[in-house]
Amino acid sequence: MNWHDVLTAMLPEHILLAGMVLLLCLEIVSGRDRDGFFVALLTVAAAAVAACDLFAQGYAGSPFAGHFSVSPMTSLPKAAILALTLPVLLISRDDFAETRYYVLLLASLYGACLLVSSDSFLTLFLGIELMSLPVYVLVLLAFLRPESTEAALKYLVLGGAATATLLMGVSLLYGWSGSLGITAFTSALSATQPLATGGAVLVVAALLLKAAIVPFHAWAPDAYEGASVPVTAYMATVIKAGVLLAALRLFGTALVTGPMVSLLAVLPLVSMAWGNLAAIRQTSFRRMIAYSSIAHAGYLYYAFLGAGPGRYQAIVFYLIVYGVMNLLAFVALPRSVDDTRQDHLDALQGLFHRQPVAALVIAAAMLSLAGIPPLPGFAAKFLIFRNVLAAGYTTYAVLGLVASYLGIYFYLRVIQYMFMSAESPDAVRGRPRRLAFLATVLCLVPAILLSFFPGWLLDRL
Amino acid sequence: MADSTLLNLVLWLPILGIVAIALLPRGRDSLVRNLSLAVMLLQLAMTAILYVHFDPSVSGLQFATNQPWIREWGIGYNIGLDGINVLLVALTAFLGPLVVAGAFSAIQKDVKLFYAMVFFIQFAMLGTFLAQDLFLFYVFWEAMLIPMFLIIGIWGGERRIYATIKFVLYTAFGSILMLAAVIYLVYSLQQRTGINSFAFVDLYGSDLPLRTQMWLLAAFGLSFAIKVPIVPLHTWLPDAHVEAPTAGSVILAGVLLKMGTYGFMKLGFPLFPEATRACTPVLMTLAVISIVYGACLALVQNDIKKIIAYSSISHLGYVMLGLVSLDLVGIQGAIVQMVSHGLVAGGLFLMVGMIYERCHTRDLAAYGGLAKLLPVFAVFFAILTLASIGLPTTSGFTGEFMALLGAFNAAWPLHEAGYDLPLVLAVIAVSGVVLGALYMLRLAQQLLFGKTRAPHQPLTDLNTRERVILVAIVAAVFTIGLYPEEPLRKTELAAREYQQIVTGTALDQESLP
Repeated sequence: MNWHDVLTAMLPEHILLAGMVLLLCLEIVSGRDRDGFFVALLTVAAAAVAACDLFAQGYAGSPFAGHFSVSPMTSLPKAAILALTLPVLLISRDDFAETRYYVLLLASLYGACLLVSSDSFLTLFLGIELMSLPVYVLVLLAFLRPESTEAALKYLVLGGAATATLLMGVSLLYGWSGSLGITAFTSALSATQPLATGGAVLVVAALLLKAAIVPFHAWAPDAYEGASVPVTAYMATVIKAGVLLAALRLFGTALVTGPMVSLLAVLPLVSMAWGNLAAIRQTSFRRMIAYSSIAHAGYLYYAFLGAGPGRYQAIVFYLIVYGVMNLLAFVALPRSVDDTRQDHLDALQGLFHRQPVAALVIAAAMLSLAGIPPLPGFAAKFLIFRNVLAAGYTTYAVLGLVASYLGIYFYLRVIQYMFMSAESPDAVRGRPRRLAFLATVLCLVPAILLSFFPGWLLDRL
Repeated sequence: MADSTLLNLVLWLPILGIVAIALLPRGRDSLVRNLSLAVMLLQLAMTAILYVHFDPSVSGLQFATNQPWIREWGIGYNIGLDGINVLLVALTAFLGPLVVAGAFSAIQKDVKLFYAMVFFIQFAMLGTFLAQDLFLFYVFWEAMLIPMFLIIGIWGGERRIYATIKFVLYTAFGSILMLAAVIYLVYSLQQRTGINSFAFVDLYGSDLPLRTQMWLLAAFGLSFAIKVPIVPLHTWLPDAHVEAPTAGSVILAGVLLKMGTYGFMKLGFPLFPEATRACTPVLMTLAVISIVYGACLALVQNDIKKIIAYSSISHLGYVMLGLVSLDLVGIQGAIVQMVSHGLVAGGLFLMVGMIYERCHTRDLAAYGGLAKLLPVFAVFFAILTLASIGLPTTSGFTGEFMALLGAFNAAWPLHEAGYDLPLVLAVIAVSGVVLGALYMLRLAQQLLFGKTRAPHQPLTDLNTRERVILVAIVAAVFTIGLYPEEPLRKTELAAREYQQIVTGTALDQESLP
């Protein structure tokens, strides 16, 4: 172990850790709540800059050989995750003043960073759990509403089931290969022994559950609805990205063959179709986004059908675009006093006449999520389906595109409510969040740049 | 002066217009209107310069720009004028100011957003015509949905939400399968030749097996056929037209429908020539069904807008007929018919909008004898009616006559060889002209002559703004009708090349525009 390596390679993680310690100390010393927000914001920004710097340097090293390694291919997703958290933090300030919220969020981020760099099942498991556990509490923090308890409990129980499945899979793989390195997973993919296949399938099932793929999706709508808006935004972007990056880490560039193909094609396909169809029936914005995220998880898992090298590019590009556009919708969402009413889609009626900018921004986000060009969601979807087609799965690609078509209607319905409906009497007239404008700009700039110059990011992936 | 910069400026001027409108303060509606008109007129002037400098004796692209956009995928920002799109770009730029001016009094709600959306769709339509890269084409093609969705949905009639969602869902379904075909086409080009490119020029030579070509033509064709629309994929059109505001109808009839036929001409047929030749009888039959069925439906409508909407289906059937005839006269007729229909149907929709603003109904039965009440209106309406029927000296005659002539030219040798279907179809297509006269004269007769009646009397005749708009359209209609040589000269070379690619007589030539 090289101490210099430990210090440089893990700088983003160290900054997060330092921030957490500082926050805990501050709470003991000052007791003033509002400092927590600034410390957390600075910490995450500094960690993002550190990760960007590592990427720009092209730094590669493994401070803990066999467990934790850093390369440009891990630094960029890390930087993306950290940067995506910034708008979440900016809109958190009105809902959460307590320091503990920020500590939990930073802890979850630390887990996400850890899993991106993990080389062994130990660090991977540690990362996934460290990422998920604080979120159970975060969902519960909006304690004023009874739904939060139910949401947190459901999330906890199903998250626990996923953990157990993952551990079971890992132990089978360990028993088969005698190694804890994640390469055991890729070799198990091409192996024929039942022990190896069973282990690999269990690990994949756990990752599907964590990403809310049908039929393991039932927790997502409740959890998304029960949490308060910043937490939902965090779950829909960063947590989802974390799970997919864990899967990406596991699969690496290994070609998916044999029965695993049907697992990774059929379940995501059903997710796309079901997520998009069920979203049509939702009346709550966050439940709708939950079903939309189920469908998007389907697109993301589809990318694993493609050949190895294009997979990293497709998934990371998709995660960044999806994260930015999803956050854009959340940060622009008008805020009301009563959190349950705010969520009703009807409350968006006539939004364009009250807050034209917010309505335009949400409309852009919806069109991007629907994958309509020139918004960046189209390029992301295009990349995924191009890889699937190039891998020779023409039928799956066509079916996936048709499933994605099913989603257009409910995204358009949001626009219809905002632009074409008269204002409803129970429309939300609450003021927007204090820092929502800043958060919107923070998301809007990359959104516009990605629309016009997707090649810039793609060249770096 | 006329170079690629000017063409780029023409394309991006609407976006500058959107920015300018967005920066204007709220509540300055008349300023927004005048600014929009000024931008559109500027665009028209610049397009006119390009049109004049367009050299018909040069094959291939002119004023072209080709910059890499997404280098890794072989996607370029590749635009340019050629003989196929030059008239359509001119048509789009010509209708722009008319649409803006025509909406001055009709649109009173969310004026800023309205003109921003008109600019947006103008940008997307010009981009679709100018794009010479399949990815870029698809981006513009799909982007058209967004402003049209809002234009129908916000400023439309009573059932606007139903109509606009139907419109989007119909068109998006075609596009999604086209996307699959686009990816497949580019990927197979890469597999076969190692060229990773979305440029039309590279794709024309892809030379796929017939079976693959059939599938891809079906996917592209579905998307284009929905847009044209070809019967039986036409059911979105009457709803969209009836519910859209006047400006929306004019854009829809004037330019948007041509996207479908342009798509067939630029992509569908030349990309898959063998499949096209194999499908010619089917395509021809569908075109003739569209001509006759559209005309029959127009004959029994009582809503003025619906009559014109169904007549559009019939008129675009001629365009398809001309394109699949693969005869030079027919192809050129198809291009002229596209422009002519854009002018005539656009003008008729504008006139329906004018009368609707005065009387607030589109029910044909509510009107009669407008020739006495609104003499100026009646004169213009009569001219456009006759142009729609295809009276000689108007643009409608040139287009329809040439398209039909092309169909007969192509059918006659086959008839002599003992294959009669094309000739039978061509003969049936001629009956569309008669039906066209029937439904348009029925409309004009009910509206202009007979017992004088109209709701909301007394009516004021057309004001100066409206007269200027209609004079411009009528002038263009007669110009094309009386001097068709000029537009035909601009398109001849491109039409010939299209014919050569699709009929396969130029297989030795590697790259064609």
